Amino acid sequence: MKYFLLLLVSINLFAVDATLTIEKDVEQRSRIALVDGSAVSNDKIFNILLSDLKISGHFLPDSTVHKGAISSNFIVPALKNQEYVLKYALSQKSGTKLLIRLLKASDGTQILKKSYAIPTTSKMPFLAHKAISDINNVLKYPDISWINRYVVFSRYTTPRHSEILLADYTFNYQKVIIRGGLNLFPKWADKNQKSFYYTSYGKLIPTLYKINIYTGAKEKITTSEGMLVCSDVNKNGSKLLLTMAPEGQADIYELDLATKIKTRVTKFSGIDVNGKYVDDESRIVFVSNRLGYANIFKKSIHSAAVSQVVYHGRNNNACDAHGNQIVYSSRESKNTFGNNTFNLYLTSLNGSGTRPLTTTGTNQFPRFSPDGSVILFIKHRGNSSSIGYINLGSHQSLLFPLGGRKVQSIDW
Amino acid sequence: MIKTILITTATFSLFFLTGCGQTAPGLDGNNVGKNNISDATQIAGETVTIDENQYGNETIGSGTAGKYNSSSDGFRSIYFEFGDYSISSAMENYVASNANVVNSAGASQIKIEGNCDEFGTDEYNYALGLKRAKAVKDAIAAQGVDTSKVVIVSFGESNPVCSNPTDECYAQNRRVDLRLAK
Repeated sequence: MKYFLLLLVSINLFAVDATLTIEKDVEQRSRIALVDGSAVSNDKIFNILLSDLKISGHFLPDSTVHKGAISSNFIVPALKNQEYVLKYALSQKSGTKLLIRLLKASDGTQILKKSYAIPTTSKMPFLAHKAISDINNVLKYPDISWINRYVVFSRYTTPRHSEILLADYTFNYQKVIIRGGLNLFPKWADKNQKSFYYTSYGKLIPTLYKINIYTGAKEKITTSEGMLVCSDVNKNGSKLLLTMAPEGQADIYELDLATKIKTRVTKFSGIDVNGKYVDDESRIVFVSNRLGYANIFKKSIHSAAVSQVVYHGRNNNACDAHGNQIVYSSRESKNTFGNNTFNLYLTSLNGSGTRPLTTTGTNQFPRFSPDGSVILFIKHRGNSSSIGYINLGSHQSLLFPLGGRKVQSIDW
Repeated sequence: MIKTILITTATFSLFFLTGCGQTAPGLDGNNVGKNNISDATQIAGETVTIDENQYGNETIGSGTAGKYNSSSDGFRSIYFEFGDYSISSAMENYVASNANVVNSAGASQIKIEGNCDEFGTDEYNYALGLKRAKAVKDAIAAQGVDTSKVVIVSFGESNPVCSNPTDECYAQNRRVDLRLAK
């Protein structure tokens, strides 16, 4: 319960972020109320359903918990001002079962009735996400299937030790996939999220593995002295952008998985990291200190010319890309130590249309959703850390509290 | 018996993977898995947990060689300024000392580990740690020492020796450690 109170507080705090102007007309969103028909009420699923509806950008959910029989089509007068009523019943006596009915609030007409069941209780959040995703599709709103995806992340436990976990996007579900050792930089290997790449420090030099999350089967991909990170995977999963240092110099390489041929993409004597495919995957954006500080640059994979993308900020040390869109983290203050303000900015490959996405706290690890509609990030504010989401279309944003351990890297 | 279990498991799994669009079963029955999500196998499939606790338990430096030293095997740690990877004049004597230890190491492989404070993110911090490790390796080579048995690795911010929120503590973490590879 306390986590959801924190969540609500976080939502409120984030909502005051001045840059997050609500461009989409509020009236264009569908007003919807949730009616709980479960034998035993469960705050958790109510809050997850509520979050899903909000972050979709397509609904204006009523945040009041209503109770009512799921089988009845009767709509109480107090809910007649809504457009839709979502009745649901959750049972976790044996596994998890969720029944939903979407009704028109005006006359109780049923639009969708569907049931979901899984043999475990821990994955209940995924049923809620799937239900809202289905409702969204039935109403023919733009796709929000990203809410069904796993988030994979690594976090430090003790010095030289970490763990890699799976989570749902709200972090209500979490499961350790690799415990112990020092395993870092997980990156999904395929769009179906069956495997991910990660860097292992279990041997003398860093080693990149691919692991199947269902069977545990591991495949050694490559090794490199110095450092080794899988920064990006192309759309069909056949090529990787790696940061590696076979001669002690961190540069970006493209690895063709079929031929095993590595192409060195950058050749700078300083730091080149964080390569991300853009356009038709013939070009990349990346982070480099070639101007004396970390900043965002772009280049073609097969030519030498490098162009600066971002012309603002003292330290832009992380980025992600989707199509021609680029999101990057920029240090806004110049404290050597302590709390620096890092904000996220959205820009394009030619540097036009730059706009801030956050204005407070330390906002890092920006990651686009697979469809580019939403940005995930980690927010530190005071002593608390949260995972945040910004819907670029609707400008809706949500924060979910994280535990105390430091996130090392994240992907979804 | 095993065959029966396999068949039962496979049948049960099929139920999980088979959709049942609009039907609405009662919630109090024993039909878990019979009315399932058709297109979200990631929900039903059980994922693994791998335990790698046997790795990463190597002994870190004893701290006996000076006020701050997290290296081992006779080496001295080299410390760096914030965001920097150049070796300061104050560290040159330690570099010379480390060069002598490398010289006397014989056939042993030596590991140079670059480390950073917590003020960085993601890949960039690991690259910064790598530049520090490379700077120390190059400085040792500049002393005329054969570095062919030296391996460099960056641990980024993953291997702090101090976790207090003080400048002195952060400075201890911006370092390069050396040790014999085991």
